[in-house]
Amino acid sequence: MTRIDEKTTITKQGNESQPTRIQDTALQARDLRKRYKGFELSVPRLALPKGFATALIGENGAGKTTLLNILTGIRLDFKGEVTYFDRQEPGICGEIQEQIGYTGPGAYFLPQWTIRQVEEISGLLFHGFHQDRYRAICEELGIGGSGLDVAKEVKSLSDGNRMKLMLAAVLARDTQLLILDEPASPLDPLMRDRLCDMIRDYLEQGGGEKSVLFSTHNIADMENVTDYCLILEHGNIVEEGFVEDLKEKYVLVKGEAADGERAREILFSMNRSAYGFEGICLAGNLDRLAGMDVSLETPTLSQISVAVMKANTSLGKLQKRA
Amino acid sequence: MKLLQNSGIPIYQQIAEQLKADILAGRLKEGEYLPSIRGLAKDLRISVITTMKAYEQLAQEGLVTAVQGKGFYVNAQDSEMLKEQHLRKVEEALLEAVSAARIAGMTGQELQEVLRTLLDMDDERDNQG
Repeated sequence: MTRIDEKTTITKQGNESQPTRIQDTALQARDLRKRYKGFELSVPRLALPKGFATALIGENGAGKTTLLNILTGIRLDFKGEVTYFDRQEPGICGEIQEQIGYTGPGAYFLPQWTIRQVEEISGLLFHGFHQDRYRAICEELGIGGSGLDVAKEVKSLSDGNRMKLMLAAVLARDTQLLILDEPASPLDPLMRDRLCDMIRDYLEQGGGEKSVLFSTHNIADMENVTDYCLILEHGNIVEEGFVEDLKEKYVLVKGEAADGERAREILFSMNRSAYGFEGICLAGNLDRLAGMDVSLETPTLSQISVAVMKANTSLGKLQKRA
Repeated sequence: MKLLQNSGIPIYQQIAEQLKADILAGRLKEGEYLPSIRGLAKDLRISVITTMKAYEQLAQEGLVTAVQGKGFYVNAQDSEMLKEQHLRKVEEALLEAVSAARIAGMTGQELQEVLRTLLDMDDERDNQG
């Protein structure tokens, strides 16, 4: 498995900026392990930067939900330890769970509950739940159409509205960390945009104390709200870093078909056609492209993620061999 | 602040340049704090790390100073250096005027008269305002 570790990070020539270090963490994990048949999640070290939004990216089955379930305390049968906020001792307890807001891929509210019952139960479960804030968010997000009908049942809501309801229940609480498993998937483009605003609002209100971790397939939609990124493949973190640093570590290269064969040896990942090639190159390897007619661009986070995933998946390896 | 997504200039650099212009023009004054990193990210609808990188660049150039837990404030700008920069701008503009006058066949005297008239007009405008 290709792993470009921090030591091999080479910045672009003439650019002396150092990768930003994580100073304070929202949580830290060590030696996380969870084994299923034919799958193993193995994360020797994990640190979430405090005060930032972190995206967890990876293809289906990479282990994103397993990792998030361990971090939220939903799944307790794992090896290793997680330390939350600035605590000395690892482990999760009710006090910590008060501080974490979680939304999952499926709705965890019972189908027969009404919007009012979700409010009552959330209020019973968590001290820091604000009824007025819940109602205001429900109304603002237009859950169940215009004019809030609190007697509406969860089962009558669309997938998108159920996600909005989970977000409302979570944002109505006083928390320090949001863990959102695929929050964007059931939302329409307009609501995804709104979700990004909500995450920025949350970070701004926290003044550097509140953090967000979300998993997503919609990297492009979430790019403008992603500060730090973790790329997970086959249960391993294969790349991580602050987005601005990754954008300096990798360079998007476009070139002529004639150079395709030589470029293939140098580029980190590439696509070729009869007209030319396009790929991602490590900034440190750019000088090896000397003599080729290429143009360079700063890649988007989606382009970086796809390149890293391709370089690591079995699919990518097969294509390389072919 | 205007940010272009596809200009080829990184967003953080666009932010840094626009803030720099504000500082050099005195729109952001010495001792004034820049907007909070997360507040600006929210208003510009971009990520926190991008705003942070812009501020760090300004700090590197000595235009602002970071204070732990409080944010970034605008440094005293070297007024001699600023004057120097402005003087250079004036010289460049006047040189352009001189070469235009040469092409048009104007004498030095005529050019000076034009400049005097323009200065008078500007003074008048100031007095009225």
